[in-house]
Amino acid sequence: MIRAIIIDDERNSRDIISLMLGKYCPEIEAVGTAANCREGIEQIRRHKPQLVFLDLEMPDGTGFDVLAGAYDASFEAIFVTAFEKRFLHTIRLSEVELILKPIDKESLLQAVGTVMKRIGQQQQHERYEVLLSNFGKPESDVRQLVLPSSEGPEAVISIDDIYYLEGYTEKTVFYLPDGKVMASRRPFRYYTELFANMRFYQTTNHQMVQVPHIQRIDQEQNKLHLKGDIVLDVTDRRKRELVNIWKQG
Amino acid sequence: MNHPDRLLSFLLFCCSLLPFTAATAQDTLAVDFTSPVNGRDLRLVTGVYHDEDEAFNMQDLASLPFENDTSVFHPRKRPLYHVNNIWLKLTIKNTGAADTSLWFFTGYHDEMEWFTPDGDGGYHSLVRTGLMTDNGNVERWGHYAFPVKAAAGETKTYYLHIVNHRYRENRLMPVLYDALHYAEHRHQYADHFKKEALVIQILIGMLLVLLCITLINYTQLPDRSSLYFAAYVLGLIIFFALRLESKPFQLSFFHYWPMLKYYWDIPAILFCFYLMPLLFGNIFLSLRERFPLMERCYRYGAVLCAVLIVLFLGIFALGEYQVPAMIYSWFHMFSIIPLGISLFALARRTRHHPLIRFFLLGSLSVFLLSLWSFIVHREPVGLNSIQELTAPNYIILLGILAQAMFYAAGLSYRNKLVHQERTKTQEMLIRQLNRNKELQRKLNEQLEELVKEQTTEILRKNQELEEQRKLQLDVEYSKKLAEIELKAIRAQINPHFIFNCLNSIQLFVMQRDYEHAQKYLSDFSYLIRKTLDFSRRNFISLADEITYLNTYLGLEKMRFEQKMSYEIVIDPVIAAAELEVPAMLLQPYVENAVKHGMTNTDHSCGLLMIRFNELESDMLECVIEDNGIGIERSKALRSMPSHHQSSGMEISLNRAELLNKMYNTGIQIEIIDKSSKQASNSGTIIRILIPQL
Repeated sequence: MIRAIIIDDERNSRDIISLMLGKYCPEIEAVGTAANCREGIEQIRRHKPQLVFLDLEMPDGTGFDVLAGAYDASFEAIFVTAFEKRFLHTIRLSEVELILKPIDKESLLQAVGTVMKRIGQQQQHERYEVLLSNFGKPESDVRQLVLPSSEGPEAVISIDDIYYLEGYTEKTVFYLPDGKVMASRRPFRYYTELFANMRFYQTTNHQMVQVPHIQRIDQEQNKLHLKGDIVLDVTDRRKRELVNIWKQG
Repeated sequence: MNHPDRLLSFLLFCCSLLPFTAATAQDTLAVDFTSPVNGRDLRLVTGVYHDEDEAFNMQDLASLPFENDTSVFHPRKRPLYHVNNIWLKLTIKNTGAADTSLWFFTGYHDEMEWFTPDGDGGYHSLVRTGLMTDNGNVERWGHYAFPVKAAAGETKTYYLHIVNHRYRENRLMPVLYDALHYAEHRHQYADHFKKEALVIQILIGMLLVLLCITLINYTQLPDRSSLYFAAYVLGLIIFFALRLESKPFQLSFFHYWPMLKYYWDIPAILFCFYLMPLLFGNIFLSLRERFPLMERCYRYGAVLCAVLIVLFLGIFALGEYQVPAMIYSWFHMFSIIPLGISLFALARRTRHHPLIRFFLLGSLSVFLLSLWSFIVHREPVGLNSIQELTAPNYIILLGILAQAMFYAAGLSYRNKLVHQERTKTQEMLIRQLNRNKELQRKLNEQLEELVKEQTTEILRKNQELEEQRKLQLDVEYSKKLAEIELKAIRAQINPHFIFNCLNSIQLFVMQRDYEHAQKYLSDFSYLIRKTLDFSRRNFISLADEITYLNTYLGLEKMRFEQKMSYEIVIDPVIAAAELEVPAMLLQPYVENAVKHGMTNTDHSCGLLMIRFNELESDMLECVIEDNGIGIERSKALRSMPSHHQSSGMEISLNRAELLNKMYNTGIQIEIIDKSSKQASNSGTIIRILIPQL
């Protein structure tokens, strides 16, 4: 049995989660509940759960505050929220699980399944550290990214290191310094949204470069010269905008 | 026919018979000075010494071997090939009873000196004269008869030295006259030359008129051929004016410079009949374009003539007067054929060019008439071409006049042609100008049209741009408005609230509490419906607002169960259905108050109080009070973990501003933290003043 704690400021929510867990996830046992952050941290310390359902918005803080107060890399967390755009970026960078209220069976099962797999494999992962390090920073200031690879362990990379990324049908490839290449199973579209307000610029339909890494723009031939002798194409239409952005940068 | 000459010859002949019978001695002429002497021929009594080497002078006279040589004398002009330097000696005895003088006359010669022995071995010069030296006026013609004076019975000796330099010698006949007959002879001479002089003067007059006309024409129509023609005419005028100098007893113009007539004699012929016609023809006929070869020939001929003229003048200056004449004779002989050829060649081209006819006729008239004159001339001057001009022959004069006239007519015709050409050109120019004007006008019109078109285009575009800008502004404005409205809607109903409501309904369903689920669902539906409804309106009645807030707070209370309670108090004087308040103005503050009320851990239950009062007749006061932690602490708490701001309230503030601007409503919003008034107290008071219109 997996021991779980539900932290939510609304009793209705707590009830519904435990109700659904009892109904659809019999392997999870809710060992405690909490209505605010303070109580939540206490509960975690007391029960040492393997899984925590965390409401993001609570009267005395956010779910991240709970995580920061109690995290010792011994439990996995599933975040629950009614409507929260504010933390979506942070959550996506770290590849942590998020369920939206009202909770439906499929998303609950999917999140629980993912987390159960991690618990089963005893994967120790720094995704929560990444989450906490990015938390509270404006979008353009985050530094770290978790790459969910299609095979093998997930990796943490520094966003500053990304020269450019390229989309393929089933994956997205990141080009890093010293010719290093890493792949994510997320689609290219996922990252274009994620990086939309950062220092990235989409040069073609399947390529996105990090602007500070551009060394030269060959306006006649529509070529970009990046660090590490990388030469990329840029469409004529986007070139002009890119030049402006690049010059401002 | 020379009438006086014939008469003179006859007289001389008669007189010449006398000496053969009456003369006692060959050397001494015995004459009765008192008896009439009329042109007595002295050929047989005159001693002659022909000094061919010009080696003698007056001092050698006594030793000179004078002899009776009649061959030096001739009654008419004759050509001269060497300088004729002769000394004559006349010894005469007055057999009469009285002391009178007679006149010794030999004709007009270049240099003459009359002298007599002065008795002591020397000689006494009595008269010096000559065509080359005497610069007197008309009286100079009297100098050519020398006085012979002898007392009764006295024998006297006189000498006469004659030098002739020119290529032609006037008649040389020693004749003696008494005073009376000499005067008669003079009159005859004067009359004889008057005719020739008159013809020359008339010719000069005509030529002067021609010259004037040509010069006037030249000022009107500057053309080099006119200038050449003028030079030709001027040369002729001077030539003939100088010819007058050698006509005895006639009016003369240049007698101060007796040498002038020699200098401007053969050079004038070259100048007037060769140099100028050649140059004139070149330009006049535009030979350079038409007959380049002939042009070259004429040019070289002209150069040759010019060189010869300069050469002749130089030779004259050296004192040689016959060499130029001989050179000229040869030149003339050799020029006849090439000139003839050139005229023939021109004649063949008459059809091509009307001007050739004039030039040809002019040239031919002088050419042929001079030839004719040469043939018919009966003066024994030898086969020397110069003779044709030596004596002004009427035929020649006619030829010259004809030449001048033809040339002048040609010039006029040429002027006419030039004028025509010019007129044609001018007409063409005018036509061109008119066409240009037309073109310019058209172009101007086109340009104007273009400018107009473009102006309207620009104006149109400007207008379009303006409209576009307006449209854009409109669009932007409405977009902004829509954005604000949308934001307002979103702010009015917190999505968090919506989904939490739905979550609660889900729970009731799962717990099979259908009654609650029903209630909750209808309230929620009412709220959503009202929100959508109100968001489209700016003002709603206070009653509607209160109902809305009631429903909202009911739902919140259901979510949080017993953890909150609320109360809405309305001043009974307020006619809630009539008062108007901005739609959804209060909701964000109420929501905020609920949230704050829940966060205070000091109270187990959040308390919310909403009061509506009428401060004045037209001022509605709305107070939202909670017992939460207060806005200051809330802010402090919030700012720590995140940078969350109460967007709902902020938008509400913005909305109040917007409403104030749009409807001039003057809504005031005041936020008071209770703890700032009383430390033991906590919570927030929102005071909204809504003026009634």
